[in-house]
Amino acid sequence: MIAPQPVEQTPPMERAVAPGGPAAAREEEPPLLEVRDLKVHFPIRQGIILERHVGDVRAVDGVSLSIRRGETLGLVGESGCGKSTTGRAIIRLYTPTSGTVVFDGVELTRLEGEPLRRMRRRMQMIFQDPYASLNPRMTAGGIVREPLDIHSIGTKAERRERVRELFEIVGLSPDLMDRYPHEFSGGQRQRIGVARALAVRPDLVVADEPISALDVSIQAQIINLLEQLQGQLQLTYLFIAHDLSVVRHISDRIAVMYLGHIVEVAGSRELHDRPVHPYTVALLSAVPVPDPEIEGRRRRIILEGDVPSPASPPSGCVFHTRCWLREDLGRPALCETAVPPLVDHTPKHSVACHFAVESERSPRTQAVLGVPNQDDPSMTKVG
Amino acid sequence: MMPLLEVRDLVVRFRTHDDVVHAVNGVSFTVEPGDALGLVGESGCGKSVTNLAILRLLPQPAGRIEGGSAVFDGTNLTSLPESALRRIRGRDIAMIFQDPMTSLNPVLTIDEQMVETIQAHRDIGKAGARARAMELLDMVGIPEPSQRLRGYPHQLSGGMRQRVMIAMALSLEPRVLIADEPTTALDVTIQAQVLELIEKIAREQHTAIILITHDLGVVAGRTKRVNVMYAGFVVEAAPTGELFAHPLHPYTVGLLHSIPRIDRAEGEPLIPIEGAPPDLRDKPVGCAFAPRCAWRIERCWTDTPELKDAAHDGPVRLNTDGSGEIDGRHRVACWNVPTPAEARAGRPLGRRLPRSTAGPAPAGEGESGS
Repeated sequence: MIAPQPVEQTPPMERAVAPGGPAAAREEEPPLLEVRDLKVHFPIRQGIILERHVGDVRAVDGVSLSIRRGETLGLVGESGCGKSTTGRAIIRLYTPTSGTVVFDGVELTRLEGEPLRRMRRRMQMIFQDPYASLNPRMTAGGIVREPLDIHSIGTKAERRERVRELFEIVGLSPDLMDRYPHEFSGGQRQRIGVARALAVRPDLVVADEPISALDVSIQAQIINLLEQLQGQLQLTYLFIAHDLSVVRHISDRIAVMYLGHIVEVAGSRELHDRPVHPYTVALLSAVPVPDPEIEGRRRRIILEGDVPSPASPPSGCVFHTRCWLREDLGRPALCETAVPPLVDHTPKHSVACHFAVESERSPRTQAVLGVPNQDDPSMTKVG
Repeated sequence: MMPLLEVRDLVVRFRTHDDVVHAVNGVSFTVEPGDALGLVGESGCGKSVTNLAILRLLPQPAGRIEGGSAVFDGTNLTSLPESALRRIRGRDIAMIFQDPMTSLNPVLTIDEQMVETIQAHRDIGKAGARARAMELLDMVGIPEPSQRLRGYPHQLSGGMRQRVMIAMALSLEPRVLIADEPTTALDVTIQAQVLELIEKIAREQHTAIILITHDLGVVAGRTKRVNVMYAGFVVEAAPTGELFAHPLHPYTVGLLHSIPRIDRAEGEPLIPIEGAPPDLRDKPVGCAFAPRCAWRIERCWTDTPELKDAAHDGPVRLNTDGSGEIDGRHRVACWNVPTPAEARAGRPLGRRLPRSTAGPAPAGEGESGS
């Protein structure tokens, strides 16, 4: 559940603020991870001797999200939207500029040294590129054992036994422990990456595009493995990816990011069946479907132009420069002046759009969802 | 009608000091004028190498065409002298590559690169070439083309660079456009823009397209026919609608079941293809897919199946756009074709002989020798 972020301006538009929004989260047990108003800005410096601070890349600009124990939250967005930075800031691979990250009751953003190390044991990461994220000079067994060495877990014999067990858990033969990364295929390397992440028995696993570097025929192996391990080991996942169909498959809930902001959060079925934010609708319509008949009938919203630079994001709603709905509504000034807060559109479905109601009712949204409509010449027919 | 491009039994190998890589092992296909052919397969299946071989752009000296032919409009490209081939490359057959950053020259302006391309093939002055370049940039939807012409590739975003590549490829109104993973490096919303553009321009100029991709979703909406490739073989070839409605090869069936689909009910389990693609340094024996195939029988280990017309229950479905001129045959290279029910289920349904495990090939898990 997402708590509304504090915002300065209250837009004068009517909006469906659901009763009990943030309070509903507290009915259940507290979330394992609660991120609030997280900002990660990378400074841009100029000059050689006197480095002047001339600006910031606002990679993550006020992200709030929470993940319950045992849940998978999908974080989806296009390259440069800040999804990976969010994941890395959560486990403190980057130091957040501001905001809080509360993991199982402990505030992480100010932890240093030994207490941070102890918390890191409980949060592990799976990386995108299984070719770049494994040390080529270490054996597969050594790679998987390294977290145990770092955190001084078990005796030497126990570590060896644990590595053996981890190999079996991820579907690799323990006989391969003494081999080097280059002797493995891409899919097997990613299994080694998974085993390494699981070595210290973490609660939370941040998986950053774990399958996008793999061959199509291998991807399903890793997706199935991650799903199976989640059930077996009660893992909580933050699953970061650009591919909406993959994210939908594995996630319980999905957060959609655009240019450093979360624009929509909902259960994965809800997001697919009733997308509200104009960006989500366009993203959904752009995902190719491997069925020529559907592709021939589908209506698509093609976004104009490119994602703006996070070093100088647009004012107001960051999506307004490419927003089709804003055009349809005759370019209301509000989109350029006020940042739309992420608020409950319906219970358990938050949207950051001044015109969420209009977006949901738009004939173009309805057409993308396949609701039969009168011929709308403004739509792009595909096929 | 004579096909515009006919590739027949093409064999490409890479020879290094101690290895032979069997990249393409006898690939045949044809492309008609105005056609849109998809070549689908994962990395290493030979889809890119096939097309580099057609234009004789294989990495030298390792890459060699060791058999077969590629005949373009009556001319055999595989035996043509380099000077004659140069007139065909770019002018008649153009190519768009995956990565628009590495295929544009970073130290030349867009203007210099486009004018050079146009002047290399057309007897036209600099001013004329520049006017043409401007017109092309405008056509591919680049705002303020005159300003962009003066810029360098790094000043453009990925989507814009790919538009420049498309503009350059189309500058000479080629008859065949080979698009090699044109949108793989791009985001999904930009991918939609770029594919739409290629399709529109190809339609207007009546250019035939060969679309190379690993993404079945991309070929589904954009091609008339599809060849599925695996380990240097075409394992299935059919009109696009037919291929997706009645996949016949176990690999095609496997691919369709191993990707999550946005149009399907949530939580449908994925059926992965076990193992990994074969090591192409091993000489192919039998069916290349056998080590990973759930339908394999004894014969698959020893005899290489040929791409043959499939015995069919229903009529071959033609594409709905009424173009009618496409090759309507459905061909498959398999000794033990899954039944329609099995293809829908994505796995064998138990009517078969027990699957053969004793094969001469290693299990093909990709753990190449230590």
